[in-house]
Amino acid sequence: MSVAPKKTTNFSSDQEVRWCPGCGDFAILAQMKKILPLLNIEPENIVFISGIGCSSRFPYYLETYGMHGIHGRAPAIATGLKRVRPDLQVWVVTGDGDGLSIGASQLIHAMRRNVDIKILLFNNRIYGLTKGQFSPTSPPGLITSSTPKGTAHQPLYPLALALASNATFVARSIDTNAKHLSNILKRAAEHRGTAFVEIYQNCHIYNDGAFDFAKNADIRDEHTVELIDGKPLIFGKEKNKAIQLNGTSLEIVPLNEKTKRDNLLIHNEECSSPAVAHLLADMQYPNMPEVIGVLRAINAPTHNDRMPDERLPADTRVQKLKQFFNAGETWEIS
Amino acid sequence: MTYVVTENCIKCKHTDCVEVCPVDCFYEGENILVIHPDECIDCGVCEPECPVDAIKADTEPGLEKWLEINAELAKTWPVISRKKDALEDAAEWKDVENKIQHLSKNPGPGDE
Repeated sequence: MSVAPKKTTNFSSDQEVRWCPGCGDFAILAQMKKILPLLNIEPENIVFISGIGCSSRFPYYLETYGMHGIHGRAPAIATGLKRVRPDLQVWVVTGDGDGLSIGASQLIHAMRRNVDIKILLFNNRIYGLTKGQFSPTSPPGLITSSTPKGTAHQPLYPLALALASNATFVARSIDTNAKHLSNILKRAAEHRGTAFVEIYQNCHIYNDGAFDFAKNADIRDEHTVELIDGKPLIFGKEKNKAIQLNGTSLEIVPLNEKTKRDNLLIHNEECSSPAVAHLLADMQYPNMPEVIGVLRAINAPTHNDRMPDERLPADTRVQKLKQFFNAGETWEIS
Repeated sequence: MTYVVTENCIKCKHTDCVEVCPVDCFYEGENILVIHPDECIDCGVCEPECPVDAIKADTEPGLEKWLEINAELAKTWPVISRKKDALEDAAEWKDVENKIQHLSKNPGPGDE
């Protein structure tokens, strides 16, 4: 007998939320709870799938369906679910360790296939759950419990990876920027196809202040630029700087009466080529302001659009499974 | 849920809590701070910072009145995100009971 799940208005589950006090994950959860009721989707038609790590505790705390999967494999589980239940809204919650180390190949193939899932990558540039080892996004030289002399290698840049995988929706937001994050989450939810969102998330315990440049009220306006579709990239506390394309690079130009407005870069989310989005993803602190917002949002056929519907009635599936299990231990190749 | 500032804060107003809040959801009155319940993300980092134990989770019984007070006053008071000195006679008021009669609904200066 199936029992209809209880309808909920605030999407809070009965589980005690267990992250460290001050964790950015609380901020992301709070915004998710704010946008879910706006989507007009019943809780029983929403599924959160995660891998392993602090971020991956997310599904427990929402009154939806969920699955705490195996390390790095959430995109595969989500792909399978979306194949057989295209009516569900499927989210993947992962982190820089789960999604970019053991799960990197899962992530890129889900994106290149344009599976209609929403992927949230909480990037805190550290392994928090295992007590502070360096992650694939740790900056060079970061001293961690496993790199006492500092990390030696270049980090992976999640947005660049998503663009290289031809993700059809690519965005970045910040855990504690409530208004911006809720807007980006809602847009991701409404995108048809893979929506990839990198969220700068502060690990209060093992990598505190990693994103101070983008969060501290005194300096963030100088070091971040909000992308607005169809508008130039203007930033700075006095809104006195802009970005323009010079040759094959982006550069900062002062914004005053002498500035040639026609030369400024105008953001275009729907550009079919990801080339300019790659340049935006490459803008890095401290040389350039880092972008927040939607880098790319294009329409393209989804995984399910491109694949035939292979769903069979349940009794046929069981029969086929029985035949398969009882097929013996040898095969003849003809 | 949310965290709420309760009676112990009145006439003390230590501000250790505001410094650690990741979402700047404390608002300053003349002699008390309050938390905006819609902005609080329930992370709990402020709770142990308070030297007079004034911050509590609203899941504790009997705090409905304080939740209302926090929600009402946070709407009009200025935000405070930087630590400042406690009120001058904070030490004298630390263990005084039934301080609610002294609650001022006047706004404080906030971040200056």
